Amino acid sequence: MGRIKVMIYKILLAIWMNLIIAAVFLYVEPAAGFPGEVSRILFFHVPMAWVATLAFLLSMIASSVYLITRKVSADFLAQSSAELGFLFCFLATVTGSIFAKATWGSFWNWDPRETSIVMLLMIYGAYFVLRSAVPDHEKRRVFAGVYSILAFCTVPFLVFIVPRITSSLHPEDTLNPAGPGMDMKTLIFFLGSLCAYTALFVWMLRLKVRMLRIMDNEQGVKFKI
Amino acid sequence: MFALTTLVAVSFSIGSFRIEESQRPFLYAVLLWIILVFSALSGLSRSFVKEQESGTMDILKLSARPQAVFLGKLFFNLSMLGVLELIIVPAFILLMGYKIKFPGCFVAMMVTGGLGLGAGTTLVAAMIAQANARGALFSALSFPLLLPLIITAIKGSERAAYGISAAGWPEVKIAAAYAIIMVTVSLLLFPLIWEE
Repeated sequence: MGRIKVMIYKILLAIWMNLIIAAVFLYVEPAAGFPGEVSRILFFHVPMAWVATLAFLLSMIASSVYLITRKVSADFLAQSSAELGFLFCFLATVTGSIFAKATWGSFWNWDPRETSIVMLLMIYGAYFVLRSAVPDHEKRRVFAGVYSILAFCTVPFLVFIVPRITSSLHPEDTLNPAGPGMDMKTLIFFLGSLCAYTALFVWMLRLKVRMLRIMDNEQGVKFKI
Repeated sequence: MFALTTLVAVSFSIGSFRIEESQRPFLYAVLLWIILVFSALSGLSRSFVKEQESGTMDILKLSARPQAVFLGKLFFNLSMLGVLELIIVPAFILLMGYKIKFPGCFVAMMVTGGLGLGAGTTLVAAMIAQANARGALFSALSFPLLLPLIITAIKGSERAAYGISAAGWPEVKIAAAYAIIMVTVSLLLFPLIWEE
């Protein structure tokens, strides 16, 4: 993308996000079945969780690509994506915790959903620890890739199996338990918010990858001197 | 040694009568698995570091195929875990007065749990042998991987000991599936680490 295109992208993204935020507070009615304004968190919490999932998936795929092709750019993508995923995952945890306080009465009670999101944070925390503990560049990339694939294989246990054993309070598409899911207006703005956050993620990802590339180049220059 | 020390400390300070009857199933399962996991981790983390320290890593790399090395280490770890469980579990049952309703199911849970522990950590042990700050790194890396297994194992042994019917079997199956998945993935990924 040229500089002007990026500029346009940024401006459009800013307008779009502001519109969405204003609309979900002023235009959309709060969903029935939840106390007060609580349900508006849907427009922020769910997109964050979605972006986190997307980012971790992308990171895993990029790691596999790196292990197969050994192209450094794939590892840059894996690392940036993991870092951004961690950020969004953390935000999803915090917003989810606020929602939990408002509806279930406590910030944290080890609901299966809460357990699995903490696991994700721990896995990627460990991923960054591993990255910082291996001095050799090449080795660090390989180990990080291997670990992220290994960790990814344990995620299904948490997401699909543990919640089956214990019951969860997390609302699925039960925003209106009796009705047909979300009403039209909510759905439109929900999807809009989803798109906005995904676009934000793409922009941040590009920035992060560029930053890593520049840092890597600088190190190469230092090496040569 | 660590295992026995913890076991003695736990049974000395808690005894078999300090915990109320209604609390026992849950707390005993948790205590047993805490002792098992921590004593296992201190041994498991050493499996590849030993080779690195004695300088035999390179010879191993030259003389054996990566899969053979991995499987050898895995079986060594598993037999170590087996011996550990053979000592700890009966001692725990005797010292704490742990009554088990479904011994078959309980034994199966212990076996599959042990398999999972070994399977989930062998690859991590191979990685940390080549990194800095090995001990701390090993637990930081393996806990997130083991957590699903430990949660399942605690649930399973609780149900095997005090359940209404032999309801612990789903957990046994989950632990077995975990072990199989981890061994398969590790076998595929190990050559990448080994040849670095």
